[in-house]
Amino acid sequence: MSENLPAGAPAAGLPGVPSRDAGEAGVPPVRRGGAVRRLLRNPLGALSAAVLLLLVAAAVLAPLLAPQDPAASSLGDAFAGPGGAHPLGTDSAGRDILSRLLHGGRNTLGGALIALGIALVLGVPSGLYAGYRGGRFDAAANWVVDLVMALPAMVVLLASRAILGPDVRALMTVLGVLAAPSFFRLVRGIVAGVRTELYVDAAKVSGLSDARIVARHVLIVVRGPVIIQVALVAGIAIGLQAGLEFLGIGSGSAPTWGAMLNEAFQNIQRAPLLMLWPGLALGLTNAALVLLAGALRDGLEDRAGQAPAPRRAARRHGGTVPAVTIAACGDPADRAGLLSVRGLTVAYPRPDGGGREVVRGVDLDVRAGEIVGLVGESGSGKTQTAFAVLGILPEGGRVTGGSITVKGREVVGLPERARRGLRGGTVAYVPQEPMSNLDPAFTIGSQLTEPLRHVLGLSRREAARRAVDLLRLVEIPRPEQVMRLYPHEISGGMAQRVLIAGAMSCDPELLIADEPTTALDVRVQAEILDLLRRLQKDRGLGVLLVTHDLGVVADLCDRVAVMNTGRIVEAGTTERVLRSPEDAYTRTLLGAVLDQAPARSPWQPPKARSATA
Amino acid sequence: MLNFIARRIAAGALLLVVISFLSYLLLSVPGTDVGRQLLGQGADQAAVDAKNASLGLDRPVLAQYADWLARAVRGDLGTSWFTSEDVGTAVAGRLPVTASLMLGVTLVTTVVSFLLGVWAGVRRGAVDRVVQVLGVVGYALPGFLVTLVLVLVFAVRLNWFPAIGYTPFTESPGGWLSTITLPVLSLSVASVAGVCQQVRGAVIDVLRQDYVRTLRARGLPASRIVFRHVLRNASAPALSVLGMQFVGLLGGAVLVEQIFGLPGIGSMTVTYTARGDIPVIMALVMLTVVGVVLINLLVDIMIGWLNPKARAA
Amino acid sequence: MSTKARNGAVAACLAASVALAGCTGSDAGSTGSSTLNIATLTFPQSLDPAQAVGSALPFFQATYDTLVKREPDGSFSPMLATEWSYNDDRTELGLTLRKDVKFADGTAFDAAAVKANMERFKKGGGADAKWLNDLESVRVVDPTHVTLELKQANPAMLFYLSDAAGLMANPARFKEADSLKTSPDGTGPYRLAKARTTIGTKWVYERNPGYWGERLPYDTVTISFFDNETAIVNGLRTGQVNAALLQSADQQAGIESDTRMKTVEQEFDFQGLLLFDRDGKLTPALKDARVRRALNHAVDRETMLGTIRQNRGEITGQVFGPDTQGYDEKLDTYYSHDPARARALLKEAGYAEGFTLKLPRIAAIVNDALASSLATDLKAVGVKLVWEDLDGASAVQKVFTDRAYSGMVMNIGQSASDWVVVNELVTPGAFNMFGTTDATVRELVPQVQSGTGEKAERAARALNEHLVKEGWFVPFYRMTYLHVSDGTVKITPQSGMAVPSLYNYAPVK
Repeated sequence: MSENLPAGAPAAGLPGVPSRDAGEAGVPPVRRGGAVRRLLRNPLGALSAAVLLLLVAAAVLAPLLAPQDPAASSLGDAFAGPGGAHPLGTDSAGRDILSRLLHGGRNTLGGALIALGIALVLGVPSGLYAGYRGGRFDAAANWVVDLVMALPAMVVLLASRAILGPDVRALMTVLGVLAAPSFFRLVRGIVAGVRTELYVDAAKVSGLSDARIVARHVLIVVRGPVIIQVALVAGIAIGLQAGLEFLGIGSGSAPTWGAMLNEAFQNIQRAPLLMLWPGLALGLTNAALVLLAGALRDGLEDRAGQAPAPRRAARRHGGTVPAVTIAACGDPADRAGLLSVRGLTVAYPRPDGGGREVVRGVDLDVRAGEIVGLVGESGSGKTQTAFAVLGILPEGGRVTGGSITVKGREVVGLPERARRGLRGGTVAYVPQEPMSNLDPAFTIGSQLTEPLRHVLGLSRREAARRAVDLLRLVEIPRPEQVMRLYPHEISGGMAQRVLIAGAMSCDPELLIADEPTTALDVRVQAEILDLLRRLQKDRGLGVLLVTHDLGVVADLCDRVAVMNTGRIVEAGTTERVLRSPEDAYTRTLLGAVLDQAPARSPWQPPKARSATA
Repeated sequence: MLNFIARRIAAGALLLVVISFLSYLLLSVPGTDVGRQLLGQGADQAAVDAKNASLGLDRPVLAQYADWLARAVRGDLGTSWFTSEDVGTAVAGRLPVTASLMLGVTLVTTVVSFLLGVWAGVRRGAVDRVVQVLGVVGYALPGFLVTLVLVLVFAVRLNWFPAIGYTPFTESPGGWLSTITLPVLSLSVASVAGVCQQVRGAVIDVLRQDYVRTLRARGLPASRIVFRHVLRNASAPALSVLGMQFVGLLGGAVLVEQIFGLPGIGSMTVTYTARGDIPVIMALVMLTVVGVVLINLLVDIMIGWLNPKARAA
Repeated sequence: MSTKARNGAVAACLAASVALAGCTGSDAGSTGSSTLNIATLTFPQSLDPAQAVGSALPFFQATYDTLVKREPDGSFSPMLATEWSYNDDRTELGLTLRKDVKFADGTAFDAAAVKANMERFKKGGGADAKWLNDLESVRVVDPTHVTLELKQANPAMLFYLSDAAGLMANPARFKEADSLKTSPDGTGPYRLAKARTTIGTKWVYERNPGYWGERLPYDTVTISFFDNETAIVNGLRTGQVNAALLQSADQQAGIESDTRMKTVEQEFDFQGLLLFDRDGKLTPALKDARVRRALNHAVDRETMLGTIRQNRGEITGQVFGPDTQGYDEKLDTYYSHDPARARALLKEAGYAEGFTLKLPRIAAIVNDALASSLATDLKAVGVKLVWEDLDGASAVQKVFTDRAYSGMVMNIGQSASDWVVVNELVTPGAFNMFGTTDATVRELVPQVQSGTGEKAERAARALNEHLVKEGWFVPFYRMTYLHVSDGTVKITPQSGMAVPSLYNYAPVK
């Protein structure tokens, strides 16, 4: 469920920006309302929506479309084949199959609608309230939900049928009650999670009423998963109704697809083809519902800002023509011994079959013992460059041109196994957000020892000893204890130290640090930078520091390269570039720093932090 | 941990009492003249009344329930009105059938859907599309059709498996396996289709996580990342669904039990509820509640084991 | 490891498990000639003979003997009683008992046991306890002679003694009678193998080594309960079921196409509309015989039989079955399908505008085809038929306890005994719940009851004809049921019973 939540929702939906969709964190608001469009652009989604629409329309218009009364029977015409007055033939009672199919759809889909309506009415508001308020109502509601979920559905359905009579609507009403807990749990879980999210807190601070907060911020988050659940519960309701009918626990005289199937089953030897139409209608409806749910999920995930970075980057470049030429690789003698990148291009496939270039002819060198800063705004391609060097481009990403040498060895086009051999031991990586880069399911110790054992081949005990040393190296107090902790039990700063320790674990020669301090607060930032500097000095590491923060660059780097829209616009010694920038873009960047405004919307702006602290 | 389990079990016991009360009320409302059903349609009214009185049905519902509860607490679930059999024995005799089915389906579902789900989630592309299409087909096929086809092909035509009946494991393990194979397969189709999609989705979600990239950057082999880190993190959501499927099977096995002539809990529930055999239904209700409470507890413990963060919460 | 190799391994595993299961499967399927597996759709509520009912008789016949044995053709022959005779006014029935019969614990079967059993049956509250309403007392003459003293003549008494009321249990067990419900104790050819039996699903009987009578051909008999015929048909096809009765026309058609099966047809149940409300208490129109005749003319029996039963049966206009003396073949076609005549009759009776008839519908009995064709047929003569959907259980309450309907479509077994038919359907009781009668009925019923030979037969025929002409019932057709064996068993149908007696199964030679 939580996978449908915006992962790093920033304080974007602050009051005063009501038009902004809180779910679209990190995505420019241009794409608002795109879920439906995206759904329709997905061929399976469009197809299933169309099929469902058709089925619903046929059911709604059944009285107009049906050639005959679905109950009109002429026993003499029973089991007639298709043709004449009966386009699909007749059933065992000589009733028109097409008419029954249409009216049956009315009852079957209408029944599912009743079940859904009741489940939604019971489950969603109570889930919202319980999740938002918590406390006694939450406890009581949860208990009731446990109760309903523990009820033996079959007994309840049969017993209530005995009381209410064999009627599709009564059956579906009971089913709706039984299905309500699934909505309650879904909604309650999401809302309880969201309640603590920043934008809701911010909204609270600014004095919005609960009702408005729920309407504006909470409902929007809940909407998607609920729609998906609706599709699934509809499928279950339809399937269950057919199943009950099959057991002889039927809908009485009303035509339903389940009743038609049951009737067909009773005549399976004589007319097996009677199964075809109701079976097809049921199967088609179910398949369409599943596909629609899937397409909706995909569409919503896309909008939830979880799309991998390149898409976000690419959006910025939408429309620009990609560079055609691959930069000349230059004289090999010029290239740095540790890391040398020449004319690197990285592209992602586009749905229309073409490619989107996000890195376009980048040249870069890092020598042993040198810290090189790679600076640029978010989306400039700097992280993609780093991933390309490491060989860990996200799904779909591909190096389409250029050369990367690590310690003089060409790595572009190297098989994955050989590539892997370089990672960890030669090139190591320090990521940006400390918390999300540790596996929540394993202890710190386990995550640190794993590469030691599987890359370096150390024994369990040796690896453990080494891991403790590493933690000491990154200045973590009481490392033996920290080894036994899980990521959620340590602070962000400590997590970043753990990640640096992890990067250092296999004695790399080149460290690629992607915004290693961005997610941390100011005091911790300084400590981490000190740590990096010390490690670099002690071990003679080459460091490629990817950052948007020119302050950090000034502090740490020997040389710097400035990137914009996938290209290096300027490179040189730090002093030279910062003092006398040649490129207009560099100057803009510098200007932004002087204005004290962050060049990139940070993950947790200090302002919001102080509001919640 | 023990504290947590004790609390859950206490809550479960309370649930048991409340649900038993509600069920008894629900079952007592409809006018199913038990005495007349027992004696046949043609019985005299006097005989019917005498029969009902001998079953205690002439007393107020609350008194009947109190009586039932008092005896149930002592472990006496009474005798079936319609087969005169001790209810405990009757239910115990049928439980292994349904339990075998549920365990079999859970095993098959877990193995197959994890294999397919992980494969599709990791490989993507054509493999993914094939798995997804299979999933939709498996989900959309009416369950009884799958069952009928399996019986006709593998039992009636090929005679590889028996078409009906159940052999207890204790009597013959081979016979047991052969009698539950087809029923388990029939039930597994839809369940694999459902869980497989969950696993696939969870795997894709986990693969997108930052820590997976970091693990790759550390030089760990892809297989190790998938089988240790991705699998474990993707298991929790899949496990919830699996737990729900398992609970659903408690009642959902009816159709398969009927077509395969398996004397299980599912068909027992339908048959005895239709007749209004309250002593038996109450035992089945209790069994279901205990089953659901235990399964949910087990799932929560397992999710806690898989995901330390959930443990803390 | 490549994907292909992995797939191969999985496939190999699957193949191995399939092969393994396959072998054991065929083991389980094969049955020696000394075991008989019977499948059934009915089962007894109790194995205590005091609660026995005719429809579950084979369950009892395995462990109990009846006083009189009923042969497949309906005639009576000695069993625990070797001879019997009535006095002149047929109010005393003397029985001579076997001397050499003992129960499992050594208790002798004697006249006192007969007295104890019959008195217990009469008071036992069983579904058929009313059969012995006419039994005044049981007089023990000596250990091997007993006399049943009757309040009035009852022509069905021997039938009862060959059925539930004649089952003899060990009187030593009557003190702890509850135990008889699940562990029977009789003198019969088999004993219940409790360890292998799961009451409610499967009953296993093993040969009684000390049985006094002729050995039955099978060492072991199992009777399995199923709630649907699909499972039974599949079991017959795989040889897991040796013998069963199929009621559904569709399943019958399916199994007949399988050449390995041996089938025997039997007409037993008739299906029809029982009109309860002949006094017009709920539906005034039904008081008029012309209206009831009109209903009979409105129904298109031929088409119904052809479509709904796939012509498996015979149309009928009477409730007496072909094995009774009152049966008259001509009455089967007494009412032709004649909507015009029906409308004329309705008009004569003052219902030219028709009326509304409300009937309960239990889907298990009245399927879609029957429900809609009946509605269509009645509509054609101006009668509006309204079906009220009910479950089996609540129908019993609403129809028989609340008496909320004027009639009901039912399947009713056709006994071979005229008196059983009259007693069930004509005298006031469950199926004549409003107690309709008339002068002719009052005159003829006692003649059927106490008359002998030809007189009783004449009375039965006259009564039957009278009922048909008065339109007491709207019978549709007698349904053909199919006894099916997997080819290893010869089944002899039992007259007046849908389920054959346990004695009627023999291996095919």
